[in-house]
Amino acid sequence: MTYKSEMKQLRKQRWHSVKNHPYFGFLIIVFLMFAVQLLRLMGVDVPVAVLRAFGSTMIFTIIALGFSILLGYGGLASLGTAGFVGLGAYFVVYFTNQLGLSIFLTIIAVVIGAIILGTVVGFISLRIEGMYLAIITLGLSEILNEVFKRATDITGGTTGEGIDGIILFKNVLSLSHNTIFIFISIFLFFIMVLTMNIMKSPTGRALLAMRNSSSAAQAMGVSIFRYRLLAFIVSTVYAMLAGVLYMSYWSFTIPSTWTLGFSLNILAAVIVGGSQSIYGIILGTFMIFGLDLAVFKQIDFFVNNPAITIVLNGVLIIVVVMFYPGGLIRLVQTLGVKLKILIQKLKKKWRDYKYGIDAE
Amino acid sequence: MALTLNNLFVLWYERKVKNHQTQLDFQQSILPIRLQEMEAIKTETLDRLSLKKAQLLLPHDLDKTVKSEYAQEVYNEAINKVEQKFYWRNRALNQTILRQKEKSQDWSLEEPKYLQKQKELDEKKKAALANVEEEFQVLRAKAASINPIEIEKKIQAKMTAVEERFVAKAKAMTEKANKNIAHHKALLERYHKILLDINKNKETYALDEKVVLKLEDLSMHFGGLKAVDQLSFEVKEGEIFGLIGPNGAGKTTVFNCITRFYRPTGGKMYFRNNLNEVVKLNDIVVHNIIKEGIVRTFQNVEMIWELNVTENLLVAAHTLYRSTFFGHVLNSRLLRREEIVMRSKVAKILEDLDLSAYAYSYPLGLPYGILKKIELARTLMVNPKLIILDEPAAGLNDAETENLAETIKKIQKEYNATIFLVEHDMGLVMNICDTVCAVSFGKKLAIGTPKEIQSSKAVRDAYLGGE
Repeated sequence: MTYKSEMKQLRKQRWHSVKNHPYFGFLIIVFLMFAVQLLRLMGVDVPVAVLRAFGSTMIFTIIALGFSILLGYGGLASLGTAGFVGLGAYFVVYFTNQLGLSIFLTIIAVVIGAIILGTVVGFISLRIEGMYLAIITLGLSEILNEVFKRATDITGGTTGEGIDGIILFKNVLSLSHNTIFIFISIFLFFIMVLTMNIMKSPTGRALLAMRNSSSAAQAMGVSIFRYRLLAFIVSTVYAMLAGVLYMSYWSFTIPSTWTLGFSLNILAAVIVGGSQSIYGIILGTFMIFGLDLAVFKQIDFFVNNPAITIVLNGVLIIVVVMFYPGGLIRLVQTLGVKLKILIQKLKKKWRDYKYGIDAE
Repeated sequence: MALTLNNLFVLWYERKVKNHQTQLDFQQSILPIRLQEMEAIKTETLDRLSLKKAQLLLPHDLDKTVKSEYAQEVYNEAINKVEQKFYWRNRALNQTILRQKEKSQDWSLEEPKYLQKQKELDEKKKAALANVEEEFQVLRAKAASINPIEIEKKIQAKMTAVEERFVAKAKAMTEKANKNIAHHKALLERYHKILLDINKNKETYALDEKVVLKLEDLSMHFGGLKAVDQLSFEVKEGEIFGLIGPNGAGKTTVFNCITRFYRPTGGKMYFRNNLNEVVKLNDIVVHNIIKEGIVRTFQNVEMIWELNVTENLLVAAHTLYRSTFFGHVLNSRLLRREEIVMRSKVAKILEDLDLSAYAYSYPLGLPYGILKKIELARTLMVNPKLIILDEPAAGLNDAETENLAETIKKIQKEYNATIFLVEHDMGLVMNICDTVCAVSFGKKLAIGTPKEIQSSKAVRDAYLGGE
């Protein structure tokens, strides 16, 4: 190899390393999500439903990421997600309406609350496995839901409660519905980066070890107690932060949102997307929460027959779970590989046609 | 241990000692890696400088006759590019001709057209070559304005500056690391002394020198069943100790008691750990056993199937990581450096055991013999003092068993580890073990060298049935 071509290769490698940097993909995904809002700001007529679909996909992706650390890495099933998200949302209501405090203070308070709550649930989970754990967390979520309904002073009871807009600094600036999108995009990007770091670090490996073989994990120095607690704390923090974002995006919440149905939807999003892949989880969340609003509601046929969309969504989930147990991401990966092979074959065919077959 | 102030101090200082010990290991292992990294950066910088020099000198070197290697390359590349381009165009034209020949009814009518095309192509090629030559002429004309001696001097000065800078950097780094090492060593000594001072009341256990593990009347009862009954023996340092017995004799139960998966009903277990202190294993929690220097394998391989082989080994190094959870979340510099150290260690161990080919493959689908070897490799990550193997040869064929025996002996020699194994394959046990202990129904039958065990009547009765 000549010297010059060597240097050329080096430069190529550098670009390759930028392109293959783990955060590069996240940046692109967040940008794509944000582009919808950008189009609207530029004057293109994007339906509000599409906007809402992307907004809720971004927010619920955060919950699903926390859930994937719990289920995909820790191997712990929980059905209490909805209660935690709701609690996060009502934290915002209380801090904004009653105390008039900034959103940053709310976030700090929410993180502290989530750590306490996560520790409690983690302690409960220590002696309980599988289905029973799911039922116990479900009970906890229902308790929280009942509290939302009864504590009418703060939550407004079953009729719900709203905020006028979040406060950045005390009475200085209230963000509008449009600009909050930026806030959520940046937040999602950082959450994805942090999740990725956890998954690739010794912590992620320890969690996987615990899920695969608890005896091997213990023999290698992984404390089951510590890592179960950690998984619960992380997922609770994610869920409650997503609750804060939900509230700042929608500005209104009612207790009936935060029931078993929501928890099951999150579970479905993680399972359908692929429980260990960040991209898969984004896909899964979009399929569960965004597909209906962004795609089906834009087609007249489905608008006239709304029941069909639910059936179709269900069928899609069944098909994915049946044929791709690894999740939607597996499907995308296999399709990508097949496409690459096809392109190579076509290229070779074209080359043979144009230049003739090589002598060797 | 009672919760007194003194004991709290002891715990505090023990923690400090362990912390500094890991820091010391880390500093010692990261230094050569960082120096290597720097060497690579240095060569890259120098290469880039020499390339720049060659580029600056290019017109001068092309003057009349091509002088330098780089100029030769540039010249050849330019010519080659043209040649290549016309080679492919020629080939495409030939292919078209072939196709047309098949299609046409009267080839003689169409032939002149293609011959003309070929001629045109040749002319174009000549023109392109002339063009290249012209470009080089322009370059050569610039040679007058270049002072090669000055350029040479300038670049040489830069190169020496770079080299000096890197030498200084390496020196500073080494000095800093040595300072750190000395610092940690001094602190370690200090804390050891303090520990000795305040730890006078601590229960100390005596073990004969050269004894690593000692069981005293170990009993484990499951309800009415006495799986292990008043068993006691000693394992000496550096030997391969085999525990044999018929099925259900309680061998694996002994292992599970030592590694604290079970809480023994009675008896005491003592162990001389990495720091040469004697600890009572009964007081230690299951996930802290590895920190004392005891690692085990499992009867049916317990892999982490969702991680590849390298990552499987990294899990075993879990206790060596000094970075905290927040470091992991933020992907801190410490964590990244630790990963480098650990990964190089993994690579070394895999190479030692001839497993390098499997470094990045997933354990699912690998042959059973390889999986057993990977489990063995996993135990080596923490520089263990005692390796406990639970039926290493179960499910292996003869060739694999032989390979395993060699590997075990190699580990004993190269890693200075004591090995304690349970095995059914008598061939393997008699071949590699220095001492063998036979048990039946949880009770010790005999202990001694393999030959003594072979000739023991009690053992024969237990296996073949006596009168």
